[in-house]
Amino acid sequence: MSNNRCYIQGSAAISAQPTFEGDFFSLPMIVTEANNLVAVEPDYKAFIPPNSLRRMSRLLKMGLTAALKAVQNSGQPSPDVIITGTGKGSLSDTEKFIRDIVEYQERALNPTPFIQSTYNSVNGLIALQQKSTGYNNTFVHRGFSFENALLDSMLQLAEGEVKRTLTGCFEEMTAEHFYIKSRIGFWKEADTGNAQLFDRNTPGSISGEGSTFFMLGDERTENTEACIKGMKMLYKPSAEALERGLKDFLDKHDVGIGDIDLVISGRNGDANTDHYYRILFSANCPATPEVPFKQLCGEHDTAGAFAVWLAAQILKQQQLPVSLQAFVANPPKAFRRILIYNHFIGEQHTFFLLEHV
Amino acid sequence: MEELKQKLKQQIIEALNLQDTKPEDIDDNAALFGDGLGLDSIDSLELMVLLERQYGIKVEDPREGRKILASVQSMAEFIQSKQTA
Amino acid sequence: MAERVFITGMGLITAIGDNVMENLRSLRLQQAGIGYTRHIDTIHKEVLPVAEVRHSTEQLAVMAGVPVLGYTRTTLLGLIAMKEALQSAGLTEADMPGTGLVNASTVGGMCDTEKVYYDIIDPNKHGEFLDYIDTLDCADCTQRIADTVGIGAHIATISTACSSSANALMYGARLIKHGMLDTAICGGTEALTRFTINGFNSLKNIDKAHCKPFDQHRNGLNLGEGAAYLVLESESQVKRRGAVVLAELSGYCNANEAFHPTAPSPEGDGAYAAMKNALAMSGRSVDEVQYINVHGTATLNNDASEGKALLRLFGDKVPMFSSTKPFTGHTLAAAGAIEAIFSVLAIREQVVFPNLNFSEKMEEAGVTPETRLLEQYPVTNVISNSFGFGGNNASLVISKYE
Repeated sequence: MSNNRCYIQGSAAISAQPTFEGDFFSLPMIVTEANNLVAVEPDYKAFIPPNSLRRMSRLLKMGLTAALKAVQNSGQPSPDVIITGTGKGSLSDTEKFIRDIVEYQERALNPTPFIQSTYNSVNGLIALQQKSTGYNNTFVHRGFSFENALLDSMLQLAEGEVKRTLTGCFEEMTAEHFYIKSRIGFWKEADTGNAQLFDRNTPGSISGEGSTFFMLGDERTENTEACIKGMKMLYKPSAEALERGLKDFLDKHDVGIGDIDLVISGRNGDANTDHYYRILFSANCPATPEVPFKQLCGEHDTAGAFAVWLAAQILKQQQLPVSLQAFVANPPKAFRRILIYNHFIGEQHTFFLLEHV
Repeated sequence: MEELKQKLKQQIIEALNLQDTKPEDIDDNAALFGDGLGLDSIDSLELMVLLERQYGIKVEDPREGRKILASVQSMAEFIQSKQTA
Repeated sequence: MAERVFITGMGLITAIGDNVMENLRSLRLQQAGIGYTRHIDTIHKEVLPVAEVRHSTEQLAVMAGVPVLGYTRTTLLGLIAMKEALQSAGLTEADMPGTGLVNASTVGGMCDTEKVYYDIIDPNKHGEFLDYIDTLDCADCTQRIADTVGIGAHIATISTACSSSANALMYGARLIKHGMLDTAICGGTEALTRFTINGFNSLKNIDKAHCKPFDQHRNGLNLGEGAAYLVLESESQVKRRGAVVLAELSGYCNANEAFHPTAPSPEGDGAYAAMKNALAMSGRSVDEVQYINVHGTATLNNDASEGKALLRLFGDKVPMFSSTKPFTGHTLAAAGAIEAIFSVLAIREQVVFPNLNFSEKMEEAGVTPETRLLEQYPVTNVISNSFGFGGNNASLVISKYE
């Protein structure tokens, strides 16, 4: 992705922290003892008419609400295009329909969970609510779901015909899916919680969920939070390819390591995959302050979007949230540029570069 | 018939999750779809599921379904006709 | 936009054939692939016809050249189509690290996970089914296919219901036009599942007989399965490689209706916008289109809406059009790519494929699909339509390479 203009004109995040409402910057981290971080859900009635709300499952409400709030926060009219990412879509609807098929022996099935299990159902709802008849797409590729949605958005802004894209993601965790993933070692075996996430050096992480949306535009507006300079995805890279990828990425954007004021890293306390971060940072930016983010939002397919949201808020506020201050002994005087490096289960690796405006 | 209609209204409210609606808010002859209760085509499928699960009546043709599901009255009449048949 | 995007290879597997040649032969012989499932455990198996790929999952694994365990039917169908596409484009292992894959699926590995789902969630059960535990999502098939053939430059999966693989082709084309990739393999894969059969049945839009697109007495769709991939390359890459161009992807558009979660708008607003804008991008006018491979699912709503959109765009000069879903069934995420390949074939073979099972015009929109096989018909520009849930409408324009 070349140096095109992509401004975050507004955003919204529903996460396990008070990011949607409340003062996220001054409040301490919401902690959990268990290995799953649950999203703090807002009052949906303020965003969605009751007649629409009655049928919607949890993820649809979360996704739609974050999307509408991002539009609201941008102070801009409806987006021209809507592009989202989700690794798993509405798991509760998928699970419900699988169970209904068995319970009712394939007879007299309610279509609603089937419809809502469709990965693009949130997109359809956003388009309906926003009367947005332009391009509409949904990417469903684990740790490259939001990332491809962002890339598609940036390319369309660069093409010039699109002024604003509503770009975001949504993910939920269910008890059933948490159990399924525990069978293949996704989560820590002992109850660890988010406050001790980095202290145990054991395999696995803790789960998360949430929805993050951005109104992206090719113009800097009054509400603009930050500028997304670029992004690079690397699929199952070797150590060398990862290292080369970072250098190429920074070169392409004409940025040296010294120009990066903060690194936000996706390390999640998993002893099996955190070495990617350790090796890359110690070789390339040992002196740059680094903060992790998954103790806030938990590990999930679209956690990368939360990091982008976090970076944008730090660039806008020019300070670190209280919950992250302990990670940085000497904070920089100003936050001009933030590099994010995140990977999902060691397979999908992404760099993002954001800049203060 | 009155009893059946009352029961139907309660079942409709539950099946469609009409949170702010009470049975007495639904007029027997008011249109369930469009301007009336504001239900849509997915609700109509859910109401057909209700008929099948609660009354064991299967509506095969969606075009026929529209007539049956026009109002609480028409639904009740349909159920009764099937039950006495 | 600097680069033109060319189609240089294609591969597919459907109920009417294991490869492009077999599909073409079945289309010409007017042999439909609709029948009753042999591989799915469902109470509907003798009631709701489907277009199932005839081979068992074990046979597909042999055809794909991989072990069966851990590979879902979705992945295996995809791999078979992928290997044909690579061979047809003359791409080798050495080309793969620089190649991207944009895949599409609507239910990923549901075909296999739904069989063992209750074992997966039962802590007391252990066994081989655990190999399928992480195959339910749509990325599993994409990564297995990419890893098997060595694709490395870019990877993405799209899921927009029935328009998924048309959107995959668009995104691949966009990546090429921006110079991010020289070669993008785009398409989709979909296996029949009890989940989707029951899902569409709960929407009351599966026909118990062979589907009748655009017919007054149409009564729903028949589900199908299959996979299809097209190799897209930039003009400069085509020159570098000396690749043979099969056709050009000259235009595309994705438009949303913002009308209803599942139903299309009665006037076909989204279909109209998608076709019109795709055509504008291709630089072709309405009278330069000789054939439209319509979405034509044979549901009451789709065909009425799509028919109206055709009348709105083309007036009284609607080109030859047909739905090929009576052959292949509605293959959901794979449909866009399968029908894009049929569109390329229409151009290369100069043929218009028949719309089977049509006898009477719809009263909602009086358009008549082509019911005969037309050979030696001059086709240079084809529109291929794929519309889906969530108001998602996609149209592609495929043009003869000149």
